[in-house]
Amino acid sequence: MDALKAGVVLFVASLLQLSVLTAYGAFRTASIVLVALLSISLLRGSIFGAVAGFATGLLLDTATLGTLGVTSLLLTIGGFWIGRYGETTARDRFHAPFLSVAVVTILYLLGQLLLQFMLGEPAPAALVVHGLPGALVLNLLLTLPVYALARRLFPPLELGGRVREVRLLG
Amino acid sequence: MPRNRTVRLAVLGSSVQRAAPSGYSSSRSSAVKRRVVVGLLVLASFVLITVSFRSSALDGLQSTGASILRPFEVAADRVTRPFRDTVGWFRGLVDAKNENKKLRVQVAELRRQVIVEQSAVQQNAELQKALDYKGPASIADYRRVNTAVLANPQSPVSQSVVVDAGSADGIVKGSIVVEPTGRTGGTGALVGVVDKVARHVARVMLLTDEQSAVTATDLANPSVVGAIRSGSGSGDVLILDRVPKQPYVGIGDTIITAGTLGQGPLRSMFPRGIPIGTVVSRSNSDASLFQNIQVRSLVDFSSVRSVIVLVPQPRP
Repeated sequence: MDALKAGVVLFVASLLQLSVLTAYGAFRTASIVLVALLSISLLRGSIFGAVAGFATGLLLDTATLGTLGVTSLLLTIGGFWIGRYGETTARDRFHAPFLSVAVVTILYLLGQLLLQFMLGEPAPAALVVHGLPGALVLNLLLTLPVYALARRLFPPLELGGRVREVRLLG
Repeated sequence: MPRNRTVRLAVLGSSVQRAAPSGYSSSRSSAVKRRVVVGLLVLASFVLITVSFRSSALDGLQSTGASILRPFEVAADRVTRPFRDTVGWFRGLVDAKNENKKLRVQVAELRRQVIVEQSAVQQNAELQKALDYKGPASIADYRRVNTAVLANPQSPVSQSVVVDAGSADGIVKGSIVVEPTGRTGGTGALVGVVDKVARHVARVMLLTDEQSAVTATDLANPSVVGAIRSGSGSGDVLILDRVPKQPYVGIGDTIITAGTLGQGPLRSMFPRGIPIGTVVSRSNSDASLFQNIQVRSLVDFSSVRSVIVLVPQPRP
C-alpha cells in the first residue's frame, strides 16, 4: 500500500515539476520531486527511498528525453542516504527533513554538474552556483508542507518496526 | 556480575524480539539486503547511462515512455493554466501603466517604419519575379508546426525544453524553433533547434545552451558577422562572438540569423533573417582580437509556453 501511495505522490510531484513549477522563472530552481522523495525516504527507510528514487529518476529522464539513468543515479543515492539517516539518527527530530533537503539539494546539483561534465556535456558551474541559493531557499520552503503531507500519508512506523536492527549488548 | 535487563525491555516494549542469535543474523541479513538493493540500483543506473549515452538502443523505449506520459503532462498543464493565467494577469497589471506609455511611443515610430518597409517588400518581390531570382532558403520554404511546451528546463544545467510534437508531425533533428508571432507569414525570435526527436514529443536545445551556436549578423550593418553563443553569466544574456574590432556595432542594433554565407559546401541550418535579440553592451579589450558584444534575446526563455517548429520542405 505504501508503495502505491509513494508512486502516486511522486508521479504527481513529477508532473508538477515538469509542467507547472518550472513554468515560472522564479521557481525554476525548486525541485518538489526531490523534496517529496526525501520526505518519503525519511519516513520509510533506505531501501524504500532508493527504489523510489530510481523509479522517479527514470520517469523524469523519460519525460525530458534526457540521458536515461542520470537522474535515477542521483535520486537513488539521495533516497538511500536520507532513508538511512531516517532509520538511524534522524528519528523524530524536527530539523531532520530541513537538514536532509538542504544537504541533498546542494549535493544533487553538484552531482548533476559532475555527471554532465563526465559525460562531456555542457556543465555551466557558474549557473549552478548562481542558482544554488535560490534552489536551497525554495526547497526549504517547500519542505514544510510537503513533509507534513508525507507524514499524514506515511505515518511514522511503530517502535517495533523501526528498531528491528537494535542489537542488545550483554 | 549479572545485568538487570528489565528496564531496557520495558523501554523497548514487547515488539522487540530478543532471541540473541537470530536477532543478530536478522540485522546482518537486513544490512546485506540493503547493500544488495542499492548496489543493484546504482549498477542499473550506470548501465542505463552507458547504453543511453553511447547508442540509440533505448531511444524507442524512451519515445514510447514519453508518449505515454504526454497526456498526463498536457492534463497537468490544462488544469493549472487558469492559476497561471491569474498570476500572469496580476503581474501584468503591475507593469501595465509604464509599459503602456513606452508602447505608445514605439507604436507611432513603428507605424512610420511599416509604411516604408511595405513599399520596399513590394518592390523586392517585383524585382525577384522580374529577374526570376533563386535565392538562399527563406522562412517561406518551411512548413510551420505550432506546438505547446510540455516541460521547461529542469535545472540550471539543462537548457532545453520538451515540445508536444515529434517525428509524427514531420519534425526532424535540427529543425528550427521560433517564438509564435501575431503576424501571418512573419516569424518570431529564434528559440533554438530540435536536438532529439521521439514520435510525439521533441527536445529543443535553447539558444542559452552552451553547445548552441548560430551564425548571426547585425541588421543595420550586414558586414558584421559573428556567432551567437550563450553568455557565461545570467542565462538569458547571449554573446555575439568572433566579431572583429573594425565593423561598428551599435547599442540597440537588432541581431538576426545570417543564413549561409558564400558558396562553401557547409550550409547554415538557419535561413537568413530570423530575429535573435538586441545589442545591450559592447566593449573592446586589448587582450582580445574580437569585440565583447552582449545581446539580450527577444525571447523570455523563462516563460516560453508555445513555439513554432519550422520543418524544411522541398523547394519546387
